[in-house]
Amino acid sequence: MGQSSPQSPISRIARDISPPSHISPAAVGEGPADRQAAAAVPAELEIRVHGRGGQGGVTCAKLIAALFAGQNRYVQTFGDYASERSGAPVRAYTRVSAKPVRNRNKVYRPDQLLILDDGLVNAELLDGLDPGGLVLLNSGCGLTGLDPLFAEYRVAVVDATAIARRHKIGTRSVVIVNTTMIGAYARFIGLKMVDVEQAYRDLGLEADLDAAQEAFRTVEIRETFCRKEHAEPVVMRQSGRVTPLTEQFVDLPMPLKTGSWRTQKVIYEERPAPCNVGCPAGNDVVGFIQALKNDGVEAAARILQQTQPLPSVCGRVCPAPCMSRCNRDGYDGAVNIRGLERWIGDHQQDLLLQPKQQGQRKSFAVVGSGPAGLSAAYTLALEGHWVTIYERDRELGGLLRSGIPGYRLPPEDLDRDIVRILLLGVEVQPGYTLDTFALERLLENHDGLLLATGLDCRRSAACPGEDLEGVEQGLDYLRRAKQGGNVRLEGHVLVIGGGNSAIDAARTALRNGARRVSLVYRRGREEMPAIAGEVEEALEEGVELQLFCQPRAYLGDGRVEAVELAEVDLGPVEADGRCRPIVSDRSSRIRCDHVLLCLGQSADLKLVPDHWQIRDGRFERAGDPLPVYACGDLSTGAGTVTHAIGDGRRTALRMLAGGPAAALSEIDPPSSPAVSAEEIRFDYFASRPPTADRHLAVERRLQECREVNQGLPDASEAERCLSCGHCTGCDTCLIYCPEGIICRDGARYAIDEEQCKGCGICAAECPRHALRAAALDGKGESCAAN
Amino acid sequence: MRSELISANHAAAHAATLAARANRKGRGFCSGVYPITPSTECMELLCAQEIEKGQVVRVEGEHSAMAVCIGSVAGGARSFTATSSNGLAYMAENVVAAALLRLPMVMMVANRTLGPPWNIWADHGDSLLLRDSGWLQFYCADNQEVLDTILFAYRLGEDARVMLPVMVCQDGFVLSHTMAQTLIPAQEQVDRFLPPLSVSHRLADQPHALGSVILPQQTEVLRRRHHQAMGEALNIYPELQREFAEIFGRELPGPLVGYRDEDAELLILSMGTLAGTVERSVDRLRERGVKVGSLRIRLLRPFPARLLREKLARARRVAVLDRDISPGFGGVLWGECRTCAGAETLVQNYMLGLGGGDVRPEHIEQLVDDLRGRESAGEPMIMEVGV
Repeated sequence: MGQSSPQSPISRIARDISPPSHISPAAVGEGPADRQAAAAVPAELEIRVHGRGGQGGVTCAKLIAALFAGQNRYVQTFGDYASERSGAPVRAYTRVSAKPVRNRNKVYRPDQLLILDDGLVNAELLDGLDPGGLVLLNSGCGLTGLDPLFAEYRVAVVDATAIARRHKIGTRSVVIVNTTMIGAYARFIGLKMVDVEQAYRDLGLEADLDAAQEAFRTVEIRETFCRKEHAEPVVMRQSGRVTPLTEQFVDLPMPLKTGSWRTQKVIYEERPAPCNVGCPAGNDVVGFIQALKNDGVEAAARILQQTQPLPSVCGRVCPAPCMSRCNRDGYDGAVNIRGLERWIGDHQQDLLLQPKQQGQRKSFAVVGSGPAGLSAAYTLALEGHWVTIYERDRELGGLLRSGIPGYRLPPEDLDRDIVRILLLGVEVQPGYTLDTFALERLLENHDGLLLATGLDCRRSAACPGEDLEGVEQGLDYLRRAKQGGNVRLEGHVLVIGGGNSAIDAARTALRNGARRVSLVYRRGREEMPAIAGEVEEALEEGVELQLFCQPRAYLGDGRVEAVELAEVDLGPVEADGRCRPIVSDRSSRIRCDHVLLCLGQSADLKLVPDHWQIRDGRFERAGDPLPVYACGDLSTGAGTVTHAIGDGRRTALRMLAGGPAAALSEIDPPSSPAVSAEEIRFDYFASRPPTADRHLAVERRLQECREVNQGLPDASEAERCLSCGHCTGCDTCLIYCPEGIICRDGARYAIDEEQCKGCGICAAECPRHALRAAALDGKGESCAAN
Repeated sequence: MRSELISANHAAAHAATLAARANRKGRGFCSGVYPITPSTECMELLCAQEIEKGQVVRVEGEHSAMAVCIGSVAGGARSFTATSSNGLAYMAENVVAAALLRLPMVMMVANRTLGPPWNIWADHGDSLLLRDSGWLQFYCADNQEVLDTILFAYRLGEDARVMLPVMVCQDGFVLSHTMAQTLIPAQEQVDRFLPPLSVSHRLADQPHALGSVILPQQTEVLRRRHHQAMGEALNIYPELQREFAEIFGRELPGPLVGYRDEDAELLILSMGTLAGTVERSVDRLRERGVKVGSLRIRLLRPFPARLLREKLARARRVAVLDRDISPGFGGVLWGECRTCAGAETLVQNYMLGLGGGDVRPEHIEQLVDDLRGRESAGEPMIMEVGV
């Protein structure tokens, strides 16, 4: 790097060739110059360097001096010093002479001009340079993009910033170009690269030689045939009225508009928080948590309910991908977002959002009342339309009602969420079984149709013996349990599968008489799709895991007595990041009394007329798009409540927009990258472990069948939210701004752009990355000006 | 001896370091420092040096910095400090004490305009504030001279016939931050030039107070001796100059530096770097046939009055350039010099470059035109050079 510092003697000119100015004339003679001065060096030379504070302009002038010292010339080099800091326009000067340099004034009639930043180019910059003079410009625009101001000069252009950035000289935002410029300069004035090499070796700048070499190679030079004329420098004629101190009533000196010095700009705008980006339902997680913290539960619910019809449900059964994305995760533990969502759902029961007043109310039918159907109905109702839900069962909720045990999701909590949806005016047709004919009738009676029938087809592993008595689908067993049917089991129960349903089935079996419950899963515990906390609870209750194996056959005489389990080896990693299971020849036999199959479900499209085709979630008839859409598991098969809720809402909005599949990106535009943990200033946040949910003691769980997870004790967990990318008005920027040009503007801040020098300290200090610094593309601006 | 492209601040730090090391066989080196623009880089580089039997103490203000230096020399160690402008003003009480206690040391002053209003650039108002403090005062004109004069100042001030502290002044930024080729002597040469410091009245085994209460008659005697010591400094200057040239192989300029002045009818007197620009103008004016020369006052205290009288004897017109002002009087240098000219000589005062104004050869030519057109000397003039 070309910045000098007092400790590093980069200033060393090793060769002892240039005596200083006051040695007696006899010793100096005509100076050492006449011994071997290069032809390229005139007898006297005045050079002016223009740059910005921080770019290394003064050192650039010094490098030129060093270059000429190596050509046996007397040199003098200095900068223009003032109180400016980073970004301010600065000048530096070098005098070169065959005789000792005597005068000490600044350079007003330069023979050569170096411009380190083309954002500085204006007529004043060229002041005092005679036509025919030399200009070396750092610019990405090349000779073709040259400002007409340069018409009369001999000009060289090099993209030193790009070169120096490639060679990593300086920092990402402040590239130091001086050592690169010297390569171009040497070529421009007819010196050789070896001269640069020698100077850089003497100064300990070998690391920058490659960049200088590239500049030497790539600099573009344009000659001029302009007659050299005399130009009187404007700056020498400057004078102005000076106000006496006794008449001075404002600050002296008058405020400078330092905003023009900037090389980087501070951007004050919201950045996506990782929880928000990671929420499949599209909830404004950081928004509702901050509202909960600052304004209470009703304000939080008002935000959450914009996108979340089922807060009490999701607050209990969501796998919470937001929490695994939480930036606090790697610090002292993720914020317990699911617990907070539940807190809001359970503690704010009366809030009802007002549907929009819709000029053109339409009528829609939603088939299925699982989370996707409920979410779609909720969205359509909030948008001000008539909605009717058609549900096969007598009660709404789909799998939420039939497939999730009461100890995880008590029916009254599900009901509370559903009632809120119905209060928006959603009509319900329960116990309504549809066939193909009825479906086509529905379409005639409504403006649009949304199919959210879920995955109705239970998968099996197609093993011999699945038809034996005692082998049953887990979801059927769970449904029977919820409906109060006979679910007593005895002896050893094997549950096949690793998802949430498998865990639910295993724990339900344990609560209904099973002596021993083993869960058979073909991969490891880490790869189980079930929520980790649920697996933990199941193990606490006594469920055993039988990992890396899968059933080959169910054995028994009419009734299952044993299972033959094949061992599974792990193959190569697949696209989803998990290892492919490879079934081996090795197997073992386990005695058992019951088998519950929880191998997932698949879509059942029997309902849909044969002449309808589905494309990107929308149905077509003979190529014509119908106002019929599939959503939720039926469409995506993603399998979690939160995915179903998000897809229900998005599909409903897409249906309202009536557009093709591409319209989806307009409904939910892809967000910019979320704030990462590296961008958070954790030293502003005291370490404080998360508040865990309260759990029923293990010994009481199996007896009482009460809800195992009792939720958070209070809402104080919200205080742990870092508010990533979202300004909280903490004043850190205001305190740290060295210029004092950030002020409060309502709940936000205003930055005085005329004064902001772009030092970036506010952005560096912002605890949550609500402010960021970005390089100004000065080059683009100056090209556009031409 | 090696040549480096360095600023005068760094040249000063190298000189101080060499002098410090040269006293390793004596009682070592101790220095108190406090930063202020534009002298800061000098103390920074000094702080970064490894000095055998040496210590640089970073204190909380200039007043204390000088107190450390006083204590060091009173204990027989060599000492150095650097400061500027209001830092020097703040240090003043102890600056006076160092001289009155006859403690030889060197202080580099990077000249800077006094404030408020605040201005970081060069004029001579700060060190001239302490013109009568009893210190020797040099004003330098280029980087090499800063280095050489500091070495010379130790030898001169520490001479038993002198025993006084020396201020070596250089124009802030114009010299302090300007880089030029500078020859740095070898330690062995400096060792030969600077024998170990000997302070006869230093605090040794027998504790005693320095500078307690005295009566008027004692004061008269001590002041006379102080004044005589200043005179001695002028007397021994040429002798030490010869020794300097012998050891370092280059000349050290005298108290007064002439340039093309032998046959000059017009003489331009100045101090510090202004003289460099004047010399440049002299060359240009000579090309136009103007018989003009330059005289630079390098040593202001002791004032080389006899030398100056000789030089001014032949001149018909003299311009005295001041980068300073004594409000209500005129230029300080003019006040010093005007009595040295003959009765027939026209002496006109021009004050310019105040607050760091950039004095260009054009300005010098302008004032020479003014000088040539005069029938008699007028009031001291302030030239606004601006920028």
